[in-house]
Amino acid sequence: MFVIMAYDVNVERVTKVLHVGRRYLNWVQNSLLEGELTKAQLARLKADLHKIINDEQDSVVFYISRREQYLERQTLGLNKGGQTTMI
Amino acid sequence: MRKPIYIFSSGTLERQQNTLVFKDGDGKKRYMPVETIADIHVFGELDFNKRLLEFLTQNEITLHFFNHYGYYIGSFYPREYYNSGYLILKQAEYYLDILKRMDLAKKFVYGAINNMNKVLEYYIRRGAEELSTTLEELSHISSAVETQDSPEALMAIEGNAREIYYSAFDIITDSEDFSFAKRTRRPPQNRLNALISFGNSLLYVTVLSEIYRTHLDPRIGFLHSTNFRRFSLNLDVAEVFKPIFVDRLIFSLINKNQLKAKDFSTGVEGVFLSESGRQTFIEEWENKLKTTIDYPPLKRKVSYRSLIRLDLYKIEKHLLGDKPYEPYASRW
Repeated sequence: MFVIMAYDVNVERVTKVLHVGRRYLNWVQNSLLEGELTKAQLARLKADLHKIINDEQDSVVFYISRREQYLERQTLGLNKGGQTTMI
Repeated sequence: MRKPIYIFSSGTLERQQNTLVFKDGDGKKRYMPVETIADIHVFGELDFNKRLLEFLTQNEITLHFFNHYGYYIGSFYPREYYNSGYLILKQAEYYLDILKRMDLAKKFVYGAINNMNKVLEYYIRRGAEELSTTLEELSHISSAVETQDSPEALMAIEGNAREIYYSAFDIITDSEDFSFAKRTRRPPQNRLNALISFGNSLLYVTVLSEIYRTHLDPRIGFLHSTNFRRFSLNLDVAEVFKPIFVDRLIFSLINKNQLKAKDFSTGVEGVFLSESGRQTFIEEWENKLKTTIDYPPLKRKVSYRSLIRLDLYKIEKHLLGDKPYEPYASRW
């Protein structure tokens, strides 16, 4: 499934969350990542994040679409990042 | 399903913050999600260190290298993580027992010829009726498979089948820029041969990466003899998939004009895809592997890439004596 992750966390934990996110997803722009994951991978990503964030102060939101094709992505201005298979 | 990464640029690949980062010459960083990468194909000049190899091993990622001309040079095949002494013994047993070995080897050849037939039948339905003679010649060859008693003789039969099948290429593509004439390797002498060579290398490494995710040992092949260094099981399995993965892709690239003469470079070393040509090829190759099709035995859709893995599982079952291996047969 295609997963979009957006986070808003205390500044102390921003980089930590980013580092975990990058292990599973492609960076799109600040606080926003996206990518194709399996159920198990998403569960692990959530578990990894859970170890870092503070439930009282932080928030991470996942938007999940069954397939990437069901989602239309439009960009205004710069295209900063996203998925790549070729470098 | 984990996905591959192709690196054409030159730069450094590193482990950073527990994931992979690629730094190009200008120091621009690109992070890649380590958890979702199956394998990395390196075409550019790459700097890396042992720490990276350790990290790739930990994450079960294979690293494949290609030279300037797009030829496969070798792989970093991480330490086996699916170890099964029992299965390796079985694999060796089937290799050493000539009857068991021939049984499996013949299946690879049958599978290959059957899928070649499917490709030809498709183009016959599309109006290339002259291919019917090719089809007949192929079925003639195919009936000779059963009586072979050595892997070498079987390889020769397989070679003949492929030669007959390749003779159909000019009719299918019908393009002056891509006339086939005859199969030439190392180096390929014309564009179509260059495409076949490049496509086959991509298939070999894809199968190798999939073998890494099973208990099978890639060094013990059945049709292709096991020798002192080479991976050979991936060559066996690739035979079955070449017609439907590589050849079909080549026909569609040529017939849809996605590749043109300018995507190739000619030198003393032969004819090769240029970088732009390789990128087009790989892009379509990836799209193909991602495409899903109905797979009746599982009653669900699976991707082309998974078809390879499913065939490997069938081979495992064959070796364990659960169920005889039936190579994947394309249905159209």
